[in-house]
Amino acid sequence: MALTITCPICDKRNGYEFRYGGVDKGPRPDEEGLTPTSWCDHVHMNKCVAGIQKEWWFHRDGCGAWFTIYRDTTTNLEVDKPEAN
Amino acid sequence: MNRLSQLPTLRINPAQKISLNYKRKTYQGIGGDTIATALYANGIRIFSRSLKYHRPRGLYSLDGECSNTRMEINGIPNVCTENTLLKNGMTIKAQNVIGTAENDLMGFMDRLDWAMPAGFYYRTMHKPAPIWPIALKQVRKAAGLGKISPDFQMNGKYEEIYPKADVCVIGGGPAGMSAALTAAKQGLRVILLESRPWLGGFFDYRAAEYSNGIHLFERARELAKTVSETPNIRGFIHTAMVGAYNNNLITAFQVGGESDHFDERYIEIRADSVVVATGCIERPLLFENNERPGVMQISCAHRLARTYGLLPGEKAVFSIGHDLGLEAALDLSNLGLKISYVADIREDGQDPGLVADLAKKKIRFLRGWVAILAHGDKSVKKVTLSTIQGTHHRDVDCDLLVASAGMTPLTGPLTLAQAQLAYDNHTGCFLPKKLPVKMHAAGRLMGLNDPLSIEASGNLAGLMAAADCGATVEADLKQTRERLNDLPGPVRGCKLVQAPVKGRKSFICFDEDTTIKNVEQALEMGFDATELVKRFTAAGTGPGQWGIPGHNLPLFVAQYLEDSTVSARPTTVRSPLVPAFIATYAGRNHDMCKRTPAHDSQKSSGGIMRRSGVWKRARYFSRDSGCREEIENVRNNVGMFDASTLGKFRIWGPDALKALQRVYAGNMSKISDGKVKYAAMCNDDGCIIDDGVVVKRGENDYYFTTSTGRAGNTVEWFRYHTRYDGWDFHMINLTDAFGVINLAGPNARKVLEKVADTDVSNEAFPFIGYREFTINNEIPVRALRLGFVGELSYELHVPSSYMQSLWGLVAEAGKQFDIQNFGLEAQNVLRMEKGHVIIGSESEQRTTLHDVGLRFLWDRNKTQAKTVGAVALKQTEKQEGRLTLAGFKMENPSHTPKDGSIIVDSSIRGYVCIARFSFVLKESIGLALVDSPLAKEGTRLQIYEDECKGQHLYGTVVPTPFYDPEGKRLRM
Repeated sequence: MALTITCPICDKRNGYEFRYGGVDKGPRPDEEGLTPTSWCDHVHMNKCVAGIQKEWWFHRDGCGAWFTIYRDTTTNLEVDKPEAN
Repeated sequence: MNRLSQLPTLRINPAQKISLNYKRKTYQGIGGDTIATALYANGIRIFSRSLKYHRPRGLYSLDGECSNTRMEINGIPNVCTENTLLKNGMTIKAQNVIGTAENDLMGFMDRLDWAMPAGFYYRTMHKPAPIWPIALKQVRKAAGLGKISPDFQMNGKYEEIYPKADVCVIGGGPAGMSAALTAAKQGLRVILLESRPWLGGFFDYRAAEYSNGIHLFERARELAKTVSETPNIRGFIHTAMVGAYNNNLITAFQVGGESDHFDERYIEIRADSVVVATGCIERPLLFENNERPGVMQISCAHRLARTYGLLPGEKAVFSIGHDLGLEAALDLSNLGLKISYVADIREDGQDPGLVADLAKKKIRFLRGWVAILAHGDKSVKKVTLSTIQGTHHRDVDCDLLVASAGMTPLTGPLTLAQAQLAYDNHTGCFLPKKLPVKMHAAGRLMGLNDPLSIEASGNLAGLMAAADCGATVEADLKQTRERLNDLPGPVRGCKLVQAPVKGRKSFICFDEDTTIKNVEQALEMGFDATELVKRFTAAGTGPGQWGIPGHNLPLFVAQYLEDSTVSARPTTVRSPLVPAFIATYAGRNHDMCKRTPAHDSQKSSGGIMRRSGVWKRARYFSRDSGCREEIENVRNNVGMFDASTLGKFRIWGPDALKALQRVYAGNMSKISDGKVKYAAMCNDDGCIIDDGVVVKRGENDYYFTTSTGRAGNTVEWFRYHTRYDGWDFHMINLTDAFGVINLAGPNARKVLEKVADTDVSNEAFPFIGYREFTINNEIPVRALRLGFVGELSYELHVPSSYMQSLWGLVAEAGKQFDIQNFGLEAQNVLRMEKGHVIIGSESEQRTTLHDVGLRFLWDRNKTQAKTVGAVALKQTEKQEGRLTLAGFKMENPSHTPKDGSIIVDSSIRGYVCIARFSFVLKESIGLALVDSPLAKEGTRLQIYEDECKGQHLYGTVVPTPFYDPEGKRLRM
């Protein structure tokens, strides 16, 4: 796998060692007022950004940490945190 | 054929004889031969027949750029014989022939080219429609080159390695070696890849002067020696680079040598910086019959003599466009080849020294002339030379025509790495314009030709790569740049694409039999981009990819469209750049599995061990696949079962309970001391993913089990669903740290009493109880009184190191009751009789907790915990159209449907999860997921079993559990 990922504990490692945990969608919403559609959207719908997205990765064959990185989905390269607009 | 045996450049060992079988005859090759050179030495000139026209094809290049010399070797089709070393006893077959390569019964196809214009298979035989199925079969029969037997078994050892390097250098020629040495001097770890079985590149076979009286081949050997003596360069020879990906990931295939422990090896290199120094290949000259056996490229003829000691022919004509051709003509003439003419496409610009030497040798030299037609049916007999304007012609007899239009950089690795290439008007080549970060190019790839410039550009690339890795090399960089600037730069290249011919049999791509005429046909039909022409004519889609048409096709298209060549782009190449065995990609056949700590004990008691997930587990203990004895022994007596594969976890810390509440559907705050709690986990869709039990061992300290299949994912799952919360808890996977014996059956207590150091009576240790005690005053046991198989039973969890001892103690204690082992299959039947589910057997991805009837495991009132799955469980609670788990009994007990049989009426209504004959109930029973209306008691189910030939089976929905519905036996 060409992708490398920087684990906060183990540093830059081969992408093989990690499991993808999806785009960062923020904490679990409160259950109050959720409709089947809004819940389904929260769980399954993704923006599929062509560009930089913040996403979760799990160091499965390593330290076992969940962490976020920024990745450019058009180049499949990890990038630095973009500056706030 | 006699070999030139005294040349210092040779790479062969004439003392070593190697035999091969071809056309039912045994031939002799020698050590160092490739299959192709061995055949050539034995007078074989026709190696195969071409794809469409069955034209004879022979040795053309020596680096496998076309399918001409692909043959079947020991049953493996399409082996590139030009770079496969000969091994003793190889059996070789020509491909795409009926008869022999020399006399192919399909040879008449060559005269039918008018019937096969570009894209004929897209355009013809579709009308009238009924013809197509017949034509399709014929086209399929004729298509393709090699054939593989359907039951062919690939032998050999295939390995894989994943090395890391500071600098990876692709190409072990002068530029590559210079780059590697320069980077290594900076103390960096360097990997050097070379596709030939030796380092040296295009210096290796050349006798021309390098400088100060040193020959090029001597210089190559000197560099190679220095490389091999440099400890921080890891050189891989006979290793073809096949892929380049971002983050400088380079993949390659290595062919094992005599002393290697593998036949082929996949290498995946992660490098901080990459230097590409793959050099050039030759650009084919386009004229009539330009692929006739006897026509070959300059370096092919030159290397045959210099590397393999084979004079490529007797009487030769050269039609070339590069100084290397003049040099080769002189050298080969010195070695004894008769050369009548050297026709140079270029009107001027030749090295005057070489021209003078040709004159001295009395070789007739024609400027601005080119070969336009090769005569001879099966090999070259005569050639027609012409001025490039086509004004004058001359026929010359010969048996070898060395033809090449010029050089073209081997840019495949750069294209794969998404470098930008652009047509360069000076050299007439596609040169790298913009390289990806931390990738550098060097040597002939940059259009350079002068040996010193090539080495200097290698040095420069090595320094730039070192700078990428953090070395301080500014001064060196400046100095090397200046040195390179003072040395000769790229030379003007020959631009001629096509000799002045019509092009009916001028092949732009050999692999696919694509002629210039075919390309013109495609262009006339409006395919106005090179990539489209490539697809419509199939040029460049063969195993050689870019090798033969890569340079000429885009330029031809640009010329035809009267476009300036500025916009010409080479067509895309894809990895693997050279054909590779799938076996090498697959690597070793790893069968990695885990064994439980009671593995050996079970095996010695006759356990039949089978793969089950990541484990090897005891499936049966008897020859009877129905496991009747094992089952009845548990029902009537006592059995022991190895349940060590259960996932086992400890979770503790101030927020442990919060984490449990998050992932378990039930209310985990209600776990009583000394009791186990049965609990389930769902995903966010409310679908059940796991069930197990949880015990509380202390304040904020829990021990729980998961199903075997979830053991590997549970920590990840907990951490994922609590990732935003910052909770303070620890988790540890104890699956491998603990072994588990399930002691089950009415006599289970009698056995346990004998070994336990505590009171295990029904009062002291009731059903659903959890106790910790010792066995034999030594072994610490966590005991859970559960009833998965529907009898009085104890799960004894002990540290793995004690497992063998405990297994022995229990077996010994149980001897007086005639305790027996039971395996997975028996357990499966026992739990089914009791109506207990196994996640994955009675559930699939879409099955919710409600569907399998485990709704009672969900606590709807703990919304603050934001339990995973709770939202969906609430929303699907009354959802219609779902499947429901139902028990059923067969009308005819003598025929039990296979697992996975489907429930049908006019449509599919569900499927059988498990069905077995129950010895205790004397019935065929099972569990099925069915449309919820069918789950009503008494419904008649129609079951369609595989291959039932319309004979449906029938069952009736009955309540579960089938066995001991009151659960008395668990509480005995």
